[in-house]
Amino acid sequence: MHPEKQKHTFEPKIIAFVCTWCTYAGADLAGTSRMQYPPNVRVLKFPCTGRIDPVFILKAFQQGADGVLVSGCHPGDCHYIAGNFHARRRFAVFRKLLEFVGVDLNRLQFSWVSAAEGGKWVEVVTDLTEKVRAMGPMTEFRELALEEQWSGAINTPELEEAYNQI
Amino acid sequence: MTKSIDTSIYAAVSEAIRAEAQRILSDGTVTAIVGYAAARRKGSAQPIVISSADDAAKLIFTPACVNNLAVYLTKAKKEIPKKGKVGIVVKGCDLKALSGLMGESQLKREDLYLIGVPCAGVLASTVQPATELTSDSIAPKCTECDAQLPGGCDFVPPQAPLTPGQTRKYAAEIARLEALTPAERWAYWKEQFSKCIKCYACRQVCPFCFCEQCLCDRNKPQMVDTTPRPAGNTAWHIVRAMHLAGRCAGCAECERVCPMDIPLNLLNRKMAKELKELYDYEAGFEVNDKGPLNSYTEKDDQSFIK
Ligand code: SF4
Ligand code: SF4
Repeated sequence: MHPEKQKHTFEPKIIAFVCTWCTYAGADLAGTSRMQYPPNVRVLKFPCTGRIDPVFILKAFQQGADGVLVSGCHPGDCHYIAGNFHARRRFAVFRKLLEFVGVDLNRLQFSWVSAAEGGKWVEVVTDLTEKVRAMGPMTEFRELALEEQWSGAINTPELEEAYNQI
Repeated sequence: MTKSIDTSIYAAVSEAIRAEAQRILSDGTVTAIVGYAAARRKGSAQPIVISSADDAAKLIFTPACVNNLAVYLTKAKKEIPKKGKVGIVVKGCDLKALSGLMGESQLKREDLYLIGVPCAGVLASTVQPATELTSDSIAPKCTECDAQLPGGCDFVPPQAPLTPGQTRKYAAEIARLEALTPAERWAYWKEQFSKCIKCYACRQVCPFCFCEQCLCDRNKPQMVDTTPRPAGNTAWHIVRAMHLAGRCAGCAECERVCPMDIPLNLLNRKMAKELKELYDYEAGFEVNDKGPLNSYTEKDDQSFIK
């Protein structure tokens, strides 16, 4: 039995960078246990959170993500012993940098989800999706990319139309 | 109010540097010295590499000696350290950069002969080189300097720099930006970053940007657009600030050389401020083989992680 699907006017794109040993397995568990969670999330698998370069998050936003989730093993459970400890420091600092240049940190979520926590995965993804849905689309980075393609002023109806189609 | 800054010791400091250079070059302690010499325009100075004791007389130290010479040992003149021990004239901020480079195994202490300079400040990049040093014409980084007297050098002239209390210019600007809303900050940086022409002068001059191939030049995969336009510029500046976090020595060379007057060092100093708060790390004279972002403790803050 599926619960009644709700219709929304805005479906956010959420990119999830996850480690293969814990969170990916956790998401898999959620799937095999037939738990429901928003299909807005696109999962990208990495060997370890330590392999997730902050530039990936930047790239995701530039390519149109409305929210980004980074998730890996709980501290102490890293398959490579300390990858997540390093990642924790790196992301703590990266958040501060994004905040300083003016990115709303509500669009960026970090979490520890173990291979046994299918339920937590569902909760984290659902929370982030609903939070971002309420915030609306992430326009800042997308506008930069559009400005990159459009240097002239959009001052004719034809240009206006073409612009709106991108 | 404009306060004048006492630079009367600089003449004696120059004298002492010349005598020491003369000595270490003639007795063979070093094969070359990287220092400052007078340049053609009145009052200006430029970097110089000397390898003969006769040239020692060319060395000077004035408020126009702005460059961080550490960069010559990693990039521009990479071959210098290979030829034997090298002498280098360093201000406190430059010495922090050298310590960082030693920590990253780019240089060895035993290959260097450090001539430290007691420094009361140098001129901002926006004024003419012959300008008198005052609280207005001083480089912003010098208003926050805690390293007027370099430590751990092989030779430091005996003069003591005078350290007048000053308004911390970067701290004030960072506080102003932090008080804005995210949207206002985004607008501010968008405006600043849009000025960037991607000349990469900031990268060339930074002692820590020594990678043979920069991530920002790669195209497979291309993580950062190379165009000097809004998206690529924003990504470049964020990546630059991130890659220098925990390494930057605060020499503000990046900001000095930027032809578009982008307040680049604000980003680096904001990162330094956060690293100090989070992990109690600060760039200093001691050589650490682990920086704050390649070490960790099990108790690091994780309040932002679900
Ligand atoms: S980022 Fe700028 S201030 Fe920091 S070390 Fe490099 S050139 Fe100096
Ligand atoms: S020096 Fe200035 S204009 Fe040149 S790449 Fe750096 S920030 Fe951009």
